[in-house]
Amino acid sequence: MSKAMLNIKDLHATVDGKEILKGLSFEVKAGEVHAIMGPNGSGKSTLAHVLAGREGYVATAGEVEFDGKDLLTLEPEVRACEGVFLGFQYPVEIPGVSNLTLLKAAINARRKYRGGSEIEASDFLAWIRDRAKIVKIDPKMLSRGVNEGFSGGEKKRNEILQMLILEPRLMILDETDSGLDIDALKIVADGINTLRSPERATVLVTHYQRLLDYVQPDFVHVLARGRIVKSGGPELAQELEQKGYGWLEAA
Amino acid sequence: MKLQPYSEAFERFAATLSDSERSTRGRQLQRFLTLGFPSKREEDWRYTDLSPLADKTFGLANEFGARADLKTIDGTERLVFVDGRFDPTHSSAAQFHGELPTIETPAADGLLALNAAFAASGLNLQLAANEHLDAPLHVLFLGSGDAAATMSHQRHRIVLGAGASATVILEFARDSGGERLATHTLDIELGANAQLRLHRLQFERAGANLLTRIDARLARDARLKALCLDAGGGFTRHDFNVSLDGAGADAEVHGLYAPQPRAHVDNHTRIVHAAPHGRSREHFRGIVGERTRAVFSGKVVVQPGAQKTDSEQRIANLLLSKHAEVNAKPDLEIYADDVKCAHGATVGQLDDSALAYLRSRGIDAATAKSLLLRAFAIEILDHVGYAPLRRHIEDILNFPDDPELDALIEAVS
Ligand SMILES: Nc1ncnc2c1ncn2[C@@H]1O[C@H](COP(=O)(O)OP(=O)(O)O)[C@@H](O)[C@H]1O
Ligand SMILES: [Mg+2]
Repeated sequence: MSKAMLNIKDLHATVDGKEILKGLSFEVKAGEVHAIMGPNGSGKSTLAHVLAGREGYVATAGEVEFDGKDLLTLEPEVRACEGVFLGFQYPVEIPGVSNLTLLKAAINARRKYRGGSEIEASDFLAWIRDRAKIVKIDPKMLSRGVNEGFSGGEKKRNEILQMLILEPRLMILDETDSGLDIDALKIVADGINTLRSPERATVLVTHYQRLLDYVQPDFVHVLARGRIVKSGGPELAQELEQKGYGWLEAA
Repeated sequence: MKLQPYSEAFERFAATLSDSERSTRGRQLQRFLTLGFPSKREEDWRYTDLSPLADKTFGLANEFGARADLKTIDGTERLVFVDGRFDPTHSSAAQFHGELPTIETPAADGLLALNAAFAASGLNLQLAANEHLDAPLHVLFLGSGDAAATMSHQRHRIVLGAGASATVILEFARDSGGERLATHTLDIELGANAQLRLHRLQFERAGANLLTRIDARLARDARLKALCLDAGGGFTRHDFNVSLDGAGADAEVHGLYAPQPRAHVDNHTRIVHAAPHGRSREHFRGIVGERTRAVFSGKVVVQPGAQKTDSEQRIANLLLSKHAEVNAKPDLEIYADDVKCAHGATVGQLDDSALAYLRSRGIDAATAKSLLLRAFAIEILDHVGYAPLRRHIEDILNFPDDPELDALIEAVS
């Protein structure tokens, strides 16, 4: 029971040949919410992309286990089918590929991976409508190209919508809260809380403490220059908010 | 002797002709023998080398090869040619099959002379003023699958009277067989306010050499909307010349090339604005992969006096491999001062971040890639106004459309 869902041990990673993650370890158990905070450029997004398997982000040492499986050897799409979801800091616009096309392909990819059949059109539509309500997105917008012409806030809500639709077991959210007004922030928090359950785990990468008022973390880790320099409970987030990140640069 | 196989083929062919035909065509053959195939030294032929054709022996097809595997398009009438010969059995619109053409005027270049010497009959669509062709006309060019190297040369005409309208699909279809050479010329005359939608689809196989040339003249207020699609594996060159002769004429020439590996596709377009208030739009997109060469040359000429011309040319290419080559050249010549002319050409790669985004959602790399390619191509395919034709094209391009998803998009919109 106490076995970790995600187990990261001494992870080193490079981007374009440059070492960004320099020995990073932590464990996430099912049901837990971990917040990762840290100054710009400390490697938060790099960690998120390494976990999701993005090409060009190369783990050079250490290990990452997900449900006891070696996550690092899996293709990104297989990780997704296994239940890993990354909410992008900068969601990509894909004109010509509609949101519905992406969602249907993503749902069916998961079903196929588990040996199931394709989703019925009516079930798909009902599910999309149900989930869109939570994030207050008009389903009409989903006939457009992926994130095409979406505002910054709409893009972030669309990430949460995709997550609600795909129901991952590990939610990695990379600064989904950045740049949101308070209403949008609450919607994003609602979306995350909707999925929170004893079987799921959440890694919240955030720059600001604000989101954590709505999604209570169990643990907070401070990332600086590719390493976790401090870990603690929710009170650490408060402390960071007061002190800023300046003291880390000196450390 | 140089080009001897062509003279020999002509000897055999000439035996079937009347005396006068024989001498008219004989003069064109002489012209071809003198001029030869266009050379790479000519600017317009820099990237398309026809010299290997000079040393090959192509016979004229003897046997009439029947074809059972016709892929028809819903709601169209049909004209079928096999190895350049009319196939009445599979044609439903025989009235548009022309007579044997006689071309007296000495051809402008060697290639045209070759075509004129051997020219067989082809499409001949002539509509009187205000006549409207109800069903789109699907003209299919097939090969018999003959293992021997064969050649065919055809001439076509479309003449629409004032206010007449028609939709025509020229399809050079996929087949098997030996090496092949085909040349086609199409003359188009659109009367005042006439409207033609023309589609040239090319799905030729490797081993096919296809050289086409379209010359269109538009009278006052005439409208031409053309779509050029190249998705075959052969060696192809297309010349498309449009002259906006009358005021207010409107030409749209759009194209997509997504050739098979090792194919060669060359599109040369030339749009001449010869009268005021003309409008032209030209959007070409290319998806160029493994060991493939694509050439695009788009010339737009605005003649003195063609004031208020509104012209736009956009070319975009996706290069999918290091072993792919694209030569895309816009070329504007503007001799009038009160005009609006825009142009742009780009060569790029598949968007890595879009690919990564789709894969992060569980979509496998191959599917993600084909979704992105489809997205790139769709802007051009959106110009296909006739739905069954659109399905026909997407089928062949392996862009299976998803009617269920379309219905869903409808449902939420
Ligand atoms: N694609 C990339 N190519 C080169 N360097 C990169 C790339 N992405 C990030 N970096 C570098 O990696 C470091 C960490 O970046 P990132 O993980 O985005 O930090 P954070 O998300 O914490 O702001 C920075 O120094 C950044 O400049
Ligand atoms: Mg970041």
